[in-house]
Amino acid sequence: MHKIKNPYRPIKAEITEVISETPTIKTIKIEPKEPITFETGQFVELTIPGIGEAPFTPSSRPAMKGIMELTVMRVGKVTEKIHELKKGDIVGVRGPFGRGYPIDKFKGKEILVVGGGCGFAPLRSLMYELFDRSGEFKKLFFRGGCKTPQELLYRSEIDDWAKRKDLDIKLTVDKGDSGWEGNVGVVTTILGDLDMDYESGIAIVCGPPVMMKFSTKKLLDMGFREENVYLSMEKNMSCGIGKCGHCRLGIYYACKDGPVFSYDKVKDFSNIWE
Amino acid sequence: MQYIFSSNFTKLLENLKNDYEIYIPVKKGEQRFYKKYIDFTDDIVIGEVRAFEPLKSFFFRAREIVAENFKSDIPHTIQKPFCIVGVKACDLKGFKIQNYVFMNQDYQDPFYIKMCENNLIISIDCTLAIGTCFCLALNVKPYPQENFDINLSMVGEGFIVEVGSQKGQNLVEKYSFLFEEEKKEFISQRDQQREKVIKAVEKNIRENKIPYQDSFKGIIERGYESNIWADEANNCVECGACNTICPTCHCFLLYDQKDENRMARLRIWDSCMIKDYAQVAGGANPRPELWMRLRNRFEKKFDFFPKVANLYACTGCGRCISACPAKIDIRKILNRLVNNA
Repeated sequence: MHKIKNPYRPIKAEITEVISETPTIKTIKIEPKEPITFETGQFVELTIPGIGEAPFTPSSRPAMKGIMELTVMRVGKVTEKIHELKKGDIVGVRGPFGRGYPIDKFKGKEILVVGGGCGFAPLRSLMYELFDRSGEFKKLFFRGGCKTPQELLYRSEIDDWAKRKDLDIKLTVDKGDSGWEGNVGVVTTILGDLDMDYESGIAIVCGPPVMMKFSTKKLLDMGFREENVYLSMEKNMSCGIGKCGHCRLGIYYACKDGPVFSYDKVKDFSNIWE
Repeated sequence: MQYIFSSNFTKLLENLKNDYEIYIPVKKGEQRFYKKYIDFTDDIVIGEVRAFEPLKSFFFRAREIVAENFKSDIPHTIQKPFCIVGVKACDLKGFKIQNYVFMNQDYQDPFYIKMCENNLIISIDCTLAIGTCFCLALNVKPYPQENFDINLSMVGEGFIVEVGSQKGQNLVEKYSFLFEEEKKEFISQRDQQREKVIKAVEKNIRENKIPYQDSFKGIIERGYESNIWADEANNCVECGACNTICPTCHCFLLYDQKDENRMARLRIWDSCMIKDYAQVAGGANPRPELWMRLRNRFEKKFDFFPKVANLYACTGCGRCISACPAKIDIRKILNRLVNNA
């Protein structure tokens, strides 16, 4: 009979660096002991041995070999433990699972990436992939928002992004401070007046549910087509292979059919924003 | 078709003991339970009606270790494959759903596949119906028609034997000295017996006003905003019995354990009726209310599965009706959904 790999077994991985991003968010760098490659937007399950596992979309450049970065907000039992990790600690990793962003479909198009709060994490990986393949697209736009300037992730990297000729970038915060010179307001306030053709453009949205909900509505009002608006659905993904049932979304499982879905695929299901 | 006398069937089981771990239904009080076969004891009742526990419990274990210490092997091993005797038609339909989930999708589950590997299913016609039986409403006849290796129909002093797979054929050939040609009159006796059970199930369906599955199309979409869900979930105590006892429910929870030098990942049966089932770490919960979770359970069975697998994930076995301490009744809910009442 056929030999099937055990899909529930984590691969051993070593923590090589821990970076504090904000008081509640850290980025950990892990070195899996068996090679793992992923497509941007796919997710992995990170295991804290003996404690449990939780799903994360890597925030690192997919083309980077050997090391994977995960940006983790402290919100529950597993992430609490992840925040206690130090260099040299051993964790487990399973995956990658699901379907990421269909980058090949974006060729020749204008792409708008909209991020909110910790939604910057998967989008960082996406942006690096888009930068690596920059010549394939017409133009890149990034619109990002978070609550306060202190909570803005990857700030020094984003300063570098701002220097790129192929990217039009604008940021906003809900509440500014004395050092903040950018826009103040929710992310939808900086979505208008883009120098792009909405009808043919691609929009990618990732962030907290309420931000995704209002951004999607705004994008559709602006003229984006439902099938061109890509969302990262946060569901309770566990097994990663569409068996355990937890992340069902209508006729799909977010873990194997997503977590990235175009809006037209999921719009008729109830409670997609929760 | 072949025939086997009861005395020879016992001999067959004795022979099969060498190659299989045999489980067979026994009767305790008013219930039937699978028990490991050692001798043909008096409490064994192969016919009658479905056992208390669903067939899935043999192959999709209620609790099993799925990973240990980063090791690459598949930890679970069984000594011999299972031979399950006296399986009823409703459970064979449940098997179909489990197979769809664990074997025929984009990813295969090595644990389920291992447990099913080389097993032997000896099914049997129901010889009676209990009050909660409504298989015919789900287009399941009270006698097996598919997914068995051999099927038995109790007639005279033994059983008519129908072969349902190559494995079953091999078995009949290997032990041909225990079988004989069936007699013509046995078939009409079998058909009479089957007709008797069909009548009993039909009576259940009539008396409980259970709709047939031809009328199920679109019932979830139509009834989505109905107050049926809140009404029916009113007494639910969130115990999850309806899920664990259901032959088609397949959800599981992965969790990790450790002691001083060992860590293990386990999976246990889970229930979509439990509040935190779909909740994410950040706290968002798509189904915070019990009635939403009840609706979700029906959506999975009567909307998701027909759409993805062309099967209603209900077998009409009635186990969830008996198991529910709040007397939530799938027959009544289906009736209300179909009649929009």
